Amino acid sequence: MKSKTHHWQTLSGLVLIALPLLAQSEAAPSTEPVGYVKTVTGEAWVTTAGQRVNAQPGTPVLLGSQLNTKKAASMGVTFKDNTIMSFGPDTELTVDEFLYAPAQDQLSLSARLLKGSMNYISGIIARLKPEAVSIKTPAGIIGVRGTQFVVTVEDTK
Amino acid sequence: MKNSFKPTLSVLALTLATLLVGCAGAPKGPGSYVVLLPSPDGSVGRVLVQSPRGEQMLTQARQGTSLDGSTPPFAVTPEQLQRDFGAAMAAQPALPEQFLLYFEKGGAELTAESKALLPLILEHALARTALDISVIGHSDTQGKAEANEALALTRAGTIAEQLRQLGLQAATLAVESHGERNLLVPTPDETAEPRNRRVEITLR
Repeated sequence: MKSKTHHWQTLSGLVLIALPLLAQSEAAPSTEPVGYVKTVTGEAWVTTAGQRVNAQPGTPVLLGSQLNTKKAASMGVTFKDNTIMSFGPDTELTVDEFLYAPAQDQLSLSARLLKGSMNYISGIIARLKPEAVSIKTPAGIIGVRGTQFVVTVEDTK
Repeated sequence: MKNSFKPTLSVLALTLATLLVGCAGAPKGPGSYVVLLPSPDGSVGRVLVQSPRGEQMLTQARQGTSLDGSTPPFAVTPEQLQRDFGAAMAAQPALPEQFLLYFEKGGAELTAESKALLPLILEHALARTALDISVIGHSDTQGKAEANEALALTRAGTIAEQLRQLGLQAATLAVESHGERNLLVPTPDETAEPRNRRVEITLR
């Protein structure tokens, strides 16, 4: 019994060390990739905090990143919770929210598809907390209940 | 002889279809709409569309609805899917692969079976392009949630180090803990369950 108590005390010590680290990563979410570009054809780019880079396999996607494909281009991204989004030509999507910390019960995924086409496969966030996932479009909001879907948004500009 | 009829008929059918779509007010052609598809595992979930103009729930594969939720669900043909979404679907990255490793009780020592999996994981990892890996530690629900989170993190860190030593130094590798909040086998709190004491390696 005594040794067990001691065991838990040691673990509490570990938690105290681990918690500030987690808090720190939350305070600066924009530096931590939430996903990576995996496929690209044609001209596509990722804009994060005003900085635009040509997309290629391995390009990081961060919270707030804007993803663009040009005419005849496409791009595929895999997020940290295994959500997959792939885009057809002339598409623009912004990653507005991405919280993936099940241990703290912090889960949310929200993106805005402004124009173009997207193929979406839901990941772990949608499995653990379906109501925390939404894809916003100029016409309406898509809620996801654990599935794959495709969506196209006509450019009204 | 019959051939000469075909174009006329198809033109007629097209005109009819266009008229019908126009009447129903459904933006089925070039327009904004969403289509529910079966997931890669074959299951079909649901998609909910909401806007001030209406609300629609899609429950069947290849059902579509306009993005303002104003049209009842309609069937979408494979040809239409290919035309409007072919490029987006072709750009779909390889599906993530997941491996589960289990531990001997009370520490960060892998079971013999799990240890034998490591070379296979390495082989699959090296076969992927733009690889990123996450190593996520999980625990069962026995003990306090905070303590389990720390324990699971220790296990994940040990495995990550082993993967690096096996030859994955260059890969993007994220180490995390989900503690007891992402169970493989759902159990009540304070339940010892060996299948929940695991590290999940995901290759993306």
